[in-house]
This record gives sequence, structure tokens and C-alpha cells, in this order.
Amino acid sequence: MYTEGELQEILAIALQGGGDYADIFTEEKVSNSVVCEDDLIERVNSGLEAGVGIRVLSGSSTAYTYTNDLSLPAVKKAAHVASKAAADGDKGVTVIDLCPRKPGTEFKILRRPEDVPIDEKVEAVIRGNKTARAVDERIVQVIVSYGDVRQRIQVANSSGALIRDERIRTRFVIHVVAQEGGVIQTGYEALGGLTGFELLTAGEPERLAEMAAKQAVLMLGAKPAPSGRMPVVMAAEAGGTMVHEACGHGLEADLVQKELSVYTDKLNKRVAAEVVTIIDDGTLANKYGSFSFDDEGTPAGRNVLIKDGVLTSYMYDRLTARQDGHPLTGNGRRQSYAYRPIPRMTNTYIAPGNTEPEEIIAQTEKGLLVKKMGGGQVNPTTGDFVFDVSEAYLIAHGKITIPVRGATLTGNGPKALEEIELVGSDLGFAIGTCGKEGQGVPVSDAQPTILIKQLIVGGTGP
Amino acid sequence: MKNKELAHWAVTRGREQGARQSEAYVLNHKSFSVRIRRGEVESIEQAQEQGLGIRALVGEQMGFAYTSFLEKGPVEEAISRAIANAGKTSADRNNILPGPPSGLPELKLYDPTIVETPVEEKIRLAAAIEEAAFAADPRVIKTERATYGDTVYEVAIANSRGLDVNYKGSFCGGSVWVVAKENDDTQTGSGMDYVLNFADLKPESIGQEATEEAVAMLGAKRVSSQRVPIVMPPRVATQFLGVLAPALSGEAVQKGRSLLAGKLGKVVASDIVTLIDDGTLSQGLNSSPVDGEGVPTDRTVLIEGGRLQTYLHNTYTAAKDGIISTGNASRPSYRGTPEIGPSNLYLESGGSSQGELLQDISQGFYLLEVLGMHTANPISGDFSVGAAGLWIEKGELTYPVRGVAVAGNILKLFRGVEALGNDLRFYLGYGSPSIRFSPLTVSGE
Repeated sequence: MYTEGELQEILAIALQGGGDYADIFTEEKVSNSVVCEDDLIERVNSGLEAGVGIRVLSGSSTAYTYTNDLSLPAVKKAAHVASKAAADGDKGVTVIDLCPRKPGTEFKILRRPEDVPIDEKVEAVIRGNKTARAVDERIVQVIVSYGDVRQRIQVANSSGALIRDERIRTRFVIHVVAQEGGVIQTGYEALGGLTGFELLTAGEPERLAEMAAKQAVLMLGAKPAPSGRMPVVMAAEAGGTMVHEACGHGLEADLVQKELSVYTDKLNKRVAAEVVTIIDDGTLANKYGSFSFDDEGTPAGRNVLIKDGVLTSYMYDRLTARQDGHPLTGNGRRQSYAYRPIPRMTNTYIAPGNTEPEEIIAQTEKGLLVKKMGGGQVNPTTGDFVFDVSEAYLIAHGKITIPVRGATLTGNGPKALEEIELVGSDLGFAIGTCGKEGQGVPVSDAQPTILIKQLIVGGTGP
Repeated sequence: MKNKELAHWAVTRGREQGARQSEAYVLNHKSFSVRIRRGEVESIEQAQEQGLGIRALVGEQMGFAYTSFLEKGPVEEAISRAIANAGKTSADRNNILPGPPSGLPELKLYDPTIVETPVEEKIRLAAAIEEAAFAADPRVIKTERATYGDTVYEVAIANSRGLDVNYKGSFCGGSVWVVAKENDDTQTGSGMDYVLNFADLKPESIGQEATEEAVAMLGAKRVSSQRVPIVMPPRVATQFLGVLAPALSGEAVQKGRSLLAGKLGKVVASDIVTLIDDGTLSQGLNSSPVDGEGVPTDRTVLIEGGRLQTYLHNTYTAAKDGIISTGNASRPSYRGTPEIGPSNLYLESGGSSQGELLQDISQGFYLLEVLGMHTANPISGDFSVGAAGLWIEKGELTYPVRGVAVAGNILKLFRGVEALGNDLRFYLGYGSPSIRFSPLTVSGE
């Protein structure tokens, strides 16, 4: 990390070529991981990396350089390269005196990873492994991984902002493989947050292991999912992959400004059923997608994207906010110093409604109940999305019946949001790594139990 | 200190700090990329990055640590951490390091033109991709971006058994995302190509490919659920190959998470299927003289005439099976230990033209795009993906179809290969000709 004087000097070099804004992102990341597979502690890895990214904006164009040679001459050289790439004549933009900013949101970290002995991390992994293996003799493999990351960042920009932030993230992931005859099925659970080792309170590794193991075994006996259009109930514990894909990506301002989103020109217009309110909130306590400042130094925000079915806001980074003359929303994120920031989601969720979750199932004559979702993908321009279902059941006459496996659900964003008929009073989160333009960032998504009038279930059964 | 010397020094220090064996892997790279939109530069990026990963063997326990600081102090610290981490892992007698290679394949991986070409020319190349996309059809109304990018890298690997190798390589590529519009319908398409030699990058064909894809999908309809034969062009077929690849890993097999476990010597695919992994492939994007732990790469026939011949191995999994490594230790970054992965994995061409692949199909689906391929389960082999493409009627491509899902199991899919095209093409590390498959379930209305 650099002193205010050094940062000021680097920013001045970056602006020499004619940029109208410059910023410096400095990052230091310490990570540790433990992996158990085959009943063995196979990997105990640790790493340290650091780097600097320098960005110069000139109108709507960006020059970005990064290096992990942190010496002052190397960083000045990088600033010079960025300044030349942005060149269209010195505009005489000067660097405003840097002024440190205080975070609006702070997060309590109870057990910092560096204060937790490695043995305790190994022990949590072993406990998960043992519990999962004891669930059923058809379990043939268990992979448990633990990881923690301490990322320290410093952002300084030519508008005078200077912030420092520390993000501690911890995650625990378990994969279980079950086999019977020629059929192999898997179960998966992941827990993570902007939190320390307290993520794994007593009994937590065991609880997750048991859930993953039971899921794998259950799916061995599941019938192939049906194929065709039908009503779908998504349980709260399924997490929010659907909302992330069906509307989240389409509300990121870069896609909207390029008129590549199906939600372009829809501000203040009805885009979803009236029961639908969708929020992106980077300030939620200790969630996986939370932070005090985004990767451009903007304080995290709570942004209501859709209110009672009406589109109220897009998600912005600095570049897109400049272009729209919109206030910053705290959605400028990047995977690391090796990437420039772009508009990204944080923790995205459908706000809970009034209907009891049991009531939603009871009201469904025939359909699919999604208990667990996997990954997904969207084409933001057409709005077509898919998401993977890893645990599902058929619903008949308002009752949950047999488990089914192997289905992806396909729909179209605006149409699916319009067809949300009931919104439950519960709320369930899931974590993930969201990929966009080759950059992965930690996010969480959530939703209450909801009923969608119809989606296409892509199974192989009748 | 140069990479090679630093790797050597780290290995020696590892031994001195108490490791029985040690290995250092040093990577550095320089990258350039530019994005164009509407003929204007949207962004330019230039980068320089480096790092070192160290594996330390204490007894039969293996630990790992990495650092991006290539100086003696931080490297010493990484060595201590790797040794400390080793103490927490399980002892395993298969934790061994490879000895020095006896001979390396001669490969031309470095093209100096990539470094020598001025930035202005690279920008013009990206712009030419965008222009080609617009020129190919008037219904292309905008692009999301057109890009050019290149990377030059150097790898040095040394270990305490006397292995000491280093090599240098480069690659470059271009891509474009386009939007086509007709009446009220909007469709997207993309084109991409990555090559080892600058002179082989053809902006026109990248632009045209994107436009063809977008325009072909205009006016797409939906169809009802049914089971029909499927035909895939190389671009889509290679994505399915990507789902099969993890099952070929010797590690996945040993750990009971491969659907190909226990199938060595058995029929696992249609008898016209021959699948090859070749790390020595001329102009192969993933070619290299050695793998991620310094073992020479090779050409490995994995499936021949539908029969499974071998799995992919690194030194650890080969030791466990009592065989020789196939040179498939994959290591995309200094931040991780060598795992197992294919290099250039491809299905051999057959002799059919596109017309021959389509003939006799009364109703079928020609896949142009799949959505959510990463959600396929590589362990069970089950996949269910969103799909768009052209409907086949009476052996001819007819109207476009979207908003449907195609589902099945990857192993059953490759057992159902009915014919192979004569048009083998590589997309990044995967290659395939066009393939005609026996019927799959298409879920629609």
C-alpha cells in the first residue's frame, strides 16, 4: 500500500496523457485452503499475492494497466503506459487532494482466519467428511473443502477519494458422490460469507455434510424429470439463481447502456408481477456478496431494482454512472487487480411476500417443486435463461410426491417475472461465484418460496 | 534473478529448510488486449504478472504455497509455509516428483511477431473483426464489443530430482459479439478464434461467424417436446467434449467420481469414435514441451474405435496405478498444485459432408447454441441445457428454434454417434468435426 503522497504522484502521471479521471487499485490477498478427498487430507495450500491496477478514463474509453511488481518505479511506469493509451491531449485535469473516507457499513469478524490454528480448519473438514460417509453405504466419494481469504484493498482516485477496506471471506463446500449399480449421483452444499471462522459454528460442518449426503442418496432413487411446460414452485432454500439470471444481469448498467439488455428503456415501467420486489444489497450483514466499499471505493448500497413490479433502478459502476449522470450505486466490482471494474450484483433477492410457503404448495394442482438450484446462465439480450435443478419433486394435487433428477429449467426473464403468481413469507440464501466477462466475484442470491405459472422443464421423462 | 535461477534457488532452499524433495514452478506473462465498439476504442489493457508456487515433500506428505513476490525473502516464506502445510496433510507414498525428462518434443510456441506488432495494428485488427461482422449482413445492428488480445509467457520448473526445464510461448486471438434485428426480433451471435501465430488470425472469418449465428436465429419459433436426432457443428460439439473430459482424468477414476471408471478396454462410445489428447500438436493452443510438473507431453489415444484405451495421468495418479504419466499435469497458474487435464483434446474426423450428415433425418435439431453447459454434471454425466438452432426437416435445415432444452447423459450421447463430419475444428483446447447423434429429448411447449 502506498502513502498519500505517492498515490497523488502516480495519479498525476496517469492523467498526463489526457485522461479526465484516474484511479489506483492496490490489493493484497492472503489465502488458505484445506481439501479432503478419498478420506485423506490431500491439500493444505496457502498463498500470498499482491498487485496494482491503474485505470484512466477519457470520455467513454478506458485504459487499464496492472502489474504485480509493486515497486514505486514499476507502478509509475504502469501509470505512464495507461496515460499514453488514453492519450488525446492533456486536458489539464488535476488530482484533487486525497481525503480518506470512512466506511458506512462495517462488518464484525469474530474469528479472523489468521488467528485460527490450521489444525482447527483441518478438523472441520475431517468432521464433514466423516459425517457424510456415515450417512449411507452407497456413498463412494466425499470431497470437503475449506477456504479463507483476507483481501486488503486501497483505492485512490483523482476526485480525491482514498479508501482502505479489508474483506475476510470464509467458505465451506462439500460434494458427495453416491453410486448404485450403474447410476452415479451427487449432492452439494456450500456455505460462505464475509465472515471469519465463526461461519463454522459447532455442528455446522456436520449439518452441511448430512444434507449433501442425503441429497446424493435421494437422487439415486429419483425418476428422470419430466419434459415440457408446467407450473414451478421454487422453495426458499433453493436460493436465488433464478432471480440472478432472469433479471439481475439484465439490470447491470453496462448492458443496458449498450442496449444489449432486454430491460433497456424499461425504467419506471412495469417489468414484473405486482407481487415482485427485487433488491440488490451489498450492506447485508456478513453475506458472501457484501463489502464496505466496492472495488472503485464507492460505499456499498442497498438498491431497490424492482418495486411492486416496476423497474426502479439499474446497477452502476463509475463509468456507466458517469455516462447516465446517475449517482453511484456501489456495484463496481472486479475479481482482482488484474481486472477493471464492471457493474456487478452483490446480494440479490426477491423480497418476501405474505403467503405461507405451505399454502403455495397446497395451491399447486400439478407442477415441479425445486428444492435446490445449481448454476445458471442468461443471454441478457434475448432474456432467455436457464438454471440447473439439483433436487426437485413432483407436486400433485397440492402435495409433494416423488423426487426427480436431471433437469434444467428454461424461461425468458421478463416473462417469468410477470408470471410469478405467489410470493412466500420466507427467504433463503445461497452463495455462488458469478462469472461475467471472464471475471468471477463472490455473490449471494435469495428468494422466498415462489410460484411461477410456467417454465419449460428440460428433463428426459414424460 | 531470472525465473530459471530463482526456481533453482527455491528448490535448493527447500531442501535446506528440511523438505525431503521440493519443486518450484515460476510463471510470468505479459498481456495486451483492446476492445472496440462502433469503430472506437472502448478499452485498452496491458499487464505484467508473475508468481511462484512451491511444493514441499516432508516424508510422504506434500504441502504447497505460492507468492507473487519473486524475491528471496517472500519465496523463503512460501517455502516455510509449504513445509508447514505438508505436516498437516495425509502421508501418501504416491506423492513423488518426476525425474528429469530424457527428451522433449520440439515445438514452435513463440511467435515474435506478436510482440513486434505495433499497438495501432492490433487495434485495426479488432476493428476489422467488427467491420467484417457488419459487412456480412445488413441485419446486424450493433456489436457488444470486438476484441483483440495476446499473451506472451515464460514457464520455469525445477525440482530436487534434477528436473530443470523452461520454455516460452505466446498466443493471440480475437472475438466479437453481435446483435441482429429483423422486425421485432433480436438475436445474438459470437465469433472467436485463438491461434499461436499472429499471421493465422483472420478477422474476416471471426466477424462472419458471429453474424451467421445471429442472423440464422432471427424469427425463431418454439417447438413441442419430442425425441429427435441431433446434429452439432464443431463449435457446439466441442462444448460437449468439455463435459466428457473430466471423466477421462485418472484422478476422477481412482476416486470413484468418473463415469468411465472400470471401463478400460471396454466399449464406451460408438465404434466410429476415436478420441485423442495431443500436447505436442502442431499449432495446438494448449501444446507445450512439458506438462505442469515437467513431464514431456505426448499424443495419447484415449478412445479408439469406441473402446477406452487409457485415462489421463499426472505423476501422482500414474504412480498409484503403477504406470507412466501421460504428461497431463495441468497447471494454469502458479497459484495451484498440478491437477489433471487434457491438452488438445479432439475427436478424429469422419468422412461425411454436412449434406450427408443431414440426409435421412425426417425431423431433427441442428444445435447452434447451448446455454448453461457449465451446469452439466461431469460426475453423473447428466446434462440438460438450453438450446437454440435450426430445425431439420427431410434432410434440410429449415426454420430457427429457440427457448427449448435438450437433455441426456454424456456417455449415452457418445454411444449414439451415428456419423462424423470431415470438418474437424478447434475451439480453444477442444476439437471436433460436426457430429450426428441418435435421438435426444427436446423439451418445448
